[in-house]
Amino acid sequence: MYTRNFRILILAVVSVFLMQSFAQNNWNVPADKKAKNSYIKFDAASARQGEAIYNKNCASCHGNPGKGNSLKSLKPIPPDLSSKGTQALTDGELSYILITGRMIMPSFKNVLSEEDRWKVISYIRSFNKNYVQLLSKFDPNKAKLVKVSMSYDPKTKQVKVDVKANEKSGVVSLKNTEIALFVSRYFGKLQIEKNQITNTDGQAVFNFPKDLPGDKTGTVELVVKLNDENYGEIESATKLKIAVPTEKPGLTDDRAIWNVLAKAPFWIIILYSAGVLAFIAVLLYLVMTLNKIRKSGAKK
Amino acid sequence: MAKNNTADKITSDLLRSIRLNWSFKIWFAFLGAALLVCLGAYGLQLKNGMVVTGLGDYVSWGMYISNFVFFVATSLIGMLISAVLGLSGQKWAAPLTRIAEIIALAFAAVAGLVIVMDMGRPERLLNVFIHGRIQSPILWDVTVITIYMVISALFLYIPLIPDLKICSEKLDVPPFVKNIYKILSLNWAGTSEQKKLIEQSTRVIAIFIIPVALAIHTVTSWLFANTSRVGWDSTIFGPYFVTGAFVSGTAAVIIAMYFFRKNYKLEDYITEKHFDMIGKLLVLVSLVYLYFNLNEYMVAGYKMKEFEAILIRDLFSGNHAVLFWSVQLFGLVLPIILLLFKKMRKPLPMLVIGIMVLIGAWFKRFIIVVPTMEHPYLPIQNVPMNWKIYTPTLIETLVTIAPMIMVLLIITVLAKLVPIVPISETLEQLETTEENKK
Repeated sequence: MYTRNFRILILAVVSVFLMQSFAQNNWNVPADKKAKNSYIKFDAASARQGEAIYNKNCASCHGNPGKGNSLKSLKPIPPDLSSKGTQALTDGELSYILITGRMIMPSFKNVLSEEDRWKVISYIRSFNKNYVQLLSKFDPNKAKLVKVSMSYDPKTKQVKVDVKANEKSGVVSLKNTEIALFVSRYFGKLQIEKNQITNTDGQAVFNFPKDLPGDKTGTVELVVKLNDENYGEIESATKLKIAVPTEKPGLTDDRAIWNVLAKAPFWIIILYSAGVLAFIAVLLYLVMTLNKIRKSGAKK
Repeated sequence: MAKNNTADKITSDLLRSIRLNWSFKIWFAFLGAALLVCLGAYGLQLKNGMVVTGLGDYVSWGMYISNFVFFVATSLIGMLISAVLGLSGQKWAAPLTRIAEIIALAFAAVAGLVIVMDMGRPERLLNVFIHGRIQSPILWDVTVITIYMVISALFLYIPLIPDLKICSEKLDVPPFVKNIYKILSLNWAGTSEQKKLIEQSTRVIAIFIIPVALAIHTVTSWLFANTSRVGWDSTIFGPYFVTGAFVSGTAAVIIAMYFFRKNYKLEDYITEKHFDMIGKLLVLVSLVYLYFNLNEYMVAGYKMKEFEAILIRDLFSGNHAVLFWSVQLFGLVLPIILLLFKKMRKPLPMLVIGIMVLIGAWFKRFIIVVPTMEHPYLPIQNVPMNWKIYTPTLIETLVTIAPMIMVLLIITVLAKLVPIVPISETLEQLETTEENKK
């Protein structure tokens, strides 16, 4: 009886433990992504650049690697990235986690460039002395061969994006590549529609909204982002006059409470100055009176 | 002959306090040592930063700002007793004017320092003036408090001129001290012209100080009311703060009266009648303040708007309930009831009540500042518990006590340099009563 209960207990403990570790590592990274390697060499320089990016984007939740100061109030608790569990993952898996995110872990796909993501991973790897890097043979310079062109069709209100690479052998269309279109706004980029896949001619079409405000002339900056197997990560911007011309006075153009001193509202300037002047007048009067008292006493 | 005798007795009675005796030296040494400990705590704060306090992102205004509001509030009493009572012909208050002015000057002067103590980088203080925007209530506050301090100093000094002359003549002090008194007395000869000038300028200050004093505490209230946060977003905050200021200031004067009377043996000058009258004054201002409290919490508590309700529940029955109700009961309601009885308006009971009211007044500011900070519109999430609930640290407490000691030091020193009850005015009153008898 005793032994039976004991067995059940052990089984329960083990299964809970297994479930927990399963839950933590269950990122379901596809095999090709798992095998992906960095084209950036993980050395002291890249780790140092990665540290700066890490401190800005990751440290607030994960804490400093090895210090055990990740944000414990979050569920699940963000792991210490110098830990064995994290270091057991491949570079490709780490890259995949950064790109997709899950639950409270946000996606950094549109926040960090591929280069920056690899630098962060380089920083994380710098805490693992046994780590040996498998360098990808990918040449990042190939991205320079790619040319992105954008055109707008006013009739259909569509933006056509065309992606071609100028190889020595001739012009090659980038087909079946996932492509994202953004419009630059004050605070970051606004995505237009969902990501599209280029057709066999290396083209993708996005429906452009009719009511998107542009600048005075209706110009907006369009940004295309794509990540191609052969050419790597590409970002290209073009200015087009396709949005609604908008001219709103800036919030800091007129005199206002929230503006700088030089643009303070008149009524505040008048009231404040009147108060200070009244004080100066009273003060002068008092000083003069005191002087009179002194002089009148001196006569005697 | 008899008249001269009384005049001499009055002069020597009122000048008696100006000497360095042992009890003064011990008291001064005690205050000095206590201040050193507190300044040591401030040194730690300067060295390690605000992390030594319980302040953080959410409760960034804790004990220091409560302290600041308390100091500005208490300094308002100079205006009430010297200006309002003086202008309205309340002669009984005349012997108390100097005490009130000394308290006003001491509290106003230290209030500015309290703000500096709340700054993590005090060496950047000048930026307030260099880059100040006159749209900001903070700049208004700096301006009016400076003005109030200058005016209060003059309000203390100008009526003091005749007494300084008496000091230079009658005091048994080293010649250089006599000289300082003489220079400060501005050739006072008691001519009718000089008397008229003093009278005029005192009147001008008494009138001018009323709007300035109203301004300092109204502007201090705007530091809160001009932000749209629960508990502060109120239209009556100006008068609410001003009336509250009269309560704490009157209590401070009562405490000071008691100790000056006892230590300097001024029973003939600060009489039981004065305690009786100022006791009634405290009842009056406390009733007005109680009315404002009722209005402030009634309106919010009746509507119970979503976010306001969280704060009201916290105050009425939550984390801050004990403090909230203690402040209202022991700092306001109970003193009002007690002071309605004539027996309670005697020096010793008044001292106890005064201390109760003053402590209540300090915690009242705490209750206004801290609970609101703990309840921002965006709920506080995913942070450690001690970020949500403000707990002052020991260092912070010592730094909070420092300005209180400074005020005591300033009051102690000023009371040792000048007669605490105006001599010339007392003599004048004596003359008028003699003439009336004839």
